[in-house]
Amino acid sequence: MKKTIAIVEDERAIRDNYAAAFSREGYAVRGYPNRREAMAAFAARLPDLAVIDISLEDEPEGGFELCRELRGLSPELPIIFLTARDSDLDAVSGLRLGADDFLTKDLSLAHLIARVNALFRRVDALRRPAEEKQVIRRGALSLDGERMSVEWNGQVVLLSLTEFWIVHALTKHPGHVKNRQQLMDAANVVLDDNTITSHIKRIRRKFQVVDEKFDAVHTVYGMGYRWVE
Amino acid sequence: MGRFLELLKAGPISGLKLRTKLLLLALTTLALPWAGCQYAREMETVLRESEQQSLLAVTTTIAGSLKGRQELLFRADSLPAIDGNNARDITPVVLSGAPLIDGRSDEWDTNERNVVRVAGPGGDGMRLLAATHERWLYLALLVRDQKLVFDAYQMAPLDSNTIGDRIWLAFDDKRGGQQRLFFGGASPGPVPARRIETREYGREEAVEEPRIEAVWQRAKEGYVVEIGIPLSLVGQHIGVLIDDRDRRGAARQSYGTLDVADLRATGRLIAASPDLNDHLRQFAQPGVELTVASSSGATLTRLDAPALPGDYTKMRGFLPRMYRLFLDGGAIPRSVSQPERERSAQSLTSKAARGHAETALFAGRYENSVIVAAAAPIFSADGKQVLGVIQLAQTADRWLTLRDRALTRLLNLTLIVTLFAVGAAFWFAGRMTLRITRLGTASENALGREGSLSRVLPESDARDELGELSRSFSSLLGRLDEYTGYLRTLAGKLAHEIRTPLTIIRSSLENLESEAQGSSGMPESAHIYISRAREGSERLGAILTAMGAATKVEEAIAQSERQRFDLAALVRTAVGAYGAAFPQRQFVCRAPDEPVEIIGAPELIVQLLDKLIDNAVDFSADGATITVVLGDDSAFAELSVANPGPPLPSEGAEKLFESLWQSRPETDKRPHFGLGLYIVRLIAEFHGGTAHAANLPDDTGAIFSVRLAH
Repeated sequence: MKKTIAIVEDERAIRDNYAAAFSREGYAVRGYPNRREAMAAFAARLPDLAVIDISLEDEPEGGFELCRELRGLSPELPIIFLTARDSDLDAVSGLRLGADDFLTKDLSLAHLIARVNALFRRVDALRRPAEEKQVIRRGALSLDGERMSVEWNGQVVLLSLTEFWIVHALTKHPGHVKNRQQLMDAANVVLDDNTITSHIKRIRRKFQVVDEKFDAVHTVYGMGYRWVE
Repeated sequence: MGRFLELLKAGPISGLKLRTKLLLLALTTLALPWAGCQYAREMETVLRESEQQSLLAVTTTIAGSLKGRQELLFRADSLPAIDGNNARDITPVVLSGAPLIDGRSDEWDTNERNVVRVAGPGGDGMRLLAATHERWLYLALLVRDQKLVFDAYQMAPLDSNTIGDRIWLAFDDKRGGQQRLFFGGASPGPVPARRIETREYGREEAVEEPRIEAVWQRAKEGYVVEIGIPLSLVGQHIGVLIDDRDRRGAARQSYGTLDVADLRATGRLIAASPDLNDHLRQFAQPGVELTVASSSGATLTRLDAPALPGDYTKMRGFLPRMYRLFLDGGAIPRSVSQPERERSAQSLTSKAARGHAETALFAGRYENSVIVAAAAPIFSADGKQVLGVIQLAQTADRWLTLRDRALTRLLNLTLIVTLFAVGAAFWFAGRMTLRITRLGTASENALGREGSLSRVLPESDARDELGELSRSFSSLLGRLDEYTGYLRTLAGKLAHEIRTPLTIIRSSLENLESEAQGSSGMPESAHIYISRAREGSERLGAILTAMGAATKVEEAIAQSERQRFDLAALVRTAVGAYGAAFPQRQFVCRAPDEPVEIIGAPELIVQLLDKLIDNAVDFSADGATITVVLGDDSAFAELSVANPGPPLPSEGAEKLFESLWQSRPETDKRPHFGLGLYIVRLIAEFHGGTAHAANLPDDTGAIFSVRLAH
């Protein structure tokens, strides 16, 4: 059965373009221009994945509200924010509401589809028992490539998809400096320097929530970042 | 008026500070003392005039009491027929004390009008002074004589051949007879008076007259003879004659008030009645001098009341002296010499003698003392003739004292008021200046370098015009703030707004591309167009990112956490990385070996360095060497990036660090919004530092430096 993707986006052209791209990939797509219609539909039947814009018609923060309500309906449903707003504050708010990823509309369709696929893969992986071979262990860190989950000292660190990919790229070759471009490629995003910096900051903070002394991500000034064990 | 305003605008006052202007304004209160002086002078004039009028009234009253009373005015024996004045008339002054008959006339206080002058031959001459005291008539002859020869009276006294100076005295006796006497002394000292007695057959004999005393004394250029005669002897006429006989046989030279031929007295004796003083005494007031003169102006009597002691006490001290200095300018006559004073009194008397009551003001005996005098004629019973003149004089000390006291009080008061006004103006001006300065500084600071405006200005709750000014400044700044805020967010908003259509374009292109891959329905050239369109949209995306960069950095700054880190290590690492990133350039890094620790955000410093390096790379040619230097002193760490290349634009290096300002060659195709150096400044300021740009020596390039606080 085809997986259903809900696109909540008030700009009709964008909605239709995304819908076309997802349909080409073999997904069933349903588009909604505002929160009201989306919630009405979600109440009847949940999609398998939701792509939400933040500002929806007359509600500048409607996407956030929708995300909260959707999370209330289903804690596991993958939710991606896709928005023209790129401020750090919005990203933090979106991720705090339980979104799996926060993307700006600069992102190419290919990258978007890669993410959607990855998220579906994760949903599938989470339904199966964990496979040991997919798990990378680096000291206190264990990283499950399939489930896209990270544990530090046995405790789960909740990362967004982008964050997970950055950590994944850093830990693949510990000690090697990954520059910004490499990290962006790994995370399937195009980001400016400041956004990368914010991502790194957020990653550090999330690890520090489970371990105050966490200091494995080093900045190499002018070059990039590296994972130090 | 217009010109005046223009003068005010462009005149000397316009260049002055507000404080000075207000001070000058306050100084105009100094006109108050001036006005006070004017007022005091007015007051003085009024007082003086009223004084003069009251004195005149008193004088007229006394004159009225004497009207027609000749017997009270003049001695009964010498009631003058009022038929004009005779130069030979002798008017004795009533003296308060008997003069000593000693040949010195200095104790005689006489009026010039009372002096009878007779000129003699060859520069000789005589002056005759007369006075009475009680029942005596005193005469003083001041004779100028080239050669004094004492009379050898022991010889035949009436021998016309005898030599020596001789004085003749002749008068009517009360019976109508003529008395002739002569004085001739053999030596200075008392000389006997000798009367000519006519015996039988007309023989004349000199008989000593013991009732008449005389003293002969030498004097400068001549001699003085003082004579005392009992008044009871003398009738209506009296006269003297000088008989100057210098050597034997010489012609006798005679001159005087007697008829030379028969030695008859032709001049009258106009003496005051003994009752006159008693009559006048009832009008006497302390401090008032009362003088009665004959119609010729000669003093008959003078009632000299003692002056009031200490009436005019000058205020002592510096201020009263200063006040007087600019008060007594001309209004009050200065002290003058005695003769001048007498002339003033004389002229007043003469005016009165012509029948008009007069009043005058003249300087007194002492410095700054003023005499008020009034004179009134004494008319005969029919009112047609002037019998004499009465004159009252008193010092004006009373109203001078009054004036001084009033003035001192007034001036002290105005001085205090002026000082207070000046002080108040100064304080007010100071406060005003302070407030304006504060407002000025605040409104200058309101537009801070960051461009964010502080809208709270001082004085905004004041109710006066400054408050209004402050409020309108506030609202102006508020509007400016909104506008600036709008401008600052414009780039970001624009980027955001453009992003949506750009997304439409890009996603459409991507869809087109994806679908074209599957089908072969599209010509080859379509792929080229699609890829061109993609390139274009990517460039547009880059532009949008660049436009939002400053906002991003501001956000990053707002969320940055400060930490202590080694700047030297950071710079060395970063510059090492730039060598790889820009292979076309050489990089030289000079940083201290020991750590340069600052507190800040290292990732922001890296970004700052990125911008400086980008800038240096953009403005230098391939193969150029970019020098990064880190200096360190106690207050700041200074990081500078120098590159060879074109010099900075001349508009001012500071402008380079402003938002949306750039100077790049037109040929540069990459998107630039003049935000790079603005970001450098933002980051430098976040680190408590500053950013500067300068040309290298010889204009071979530019150097950009930032100072960062430790």
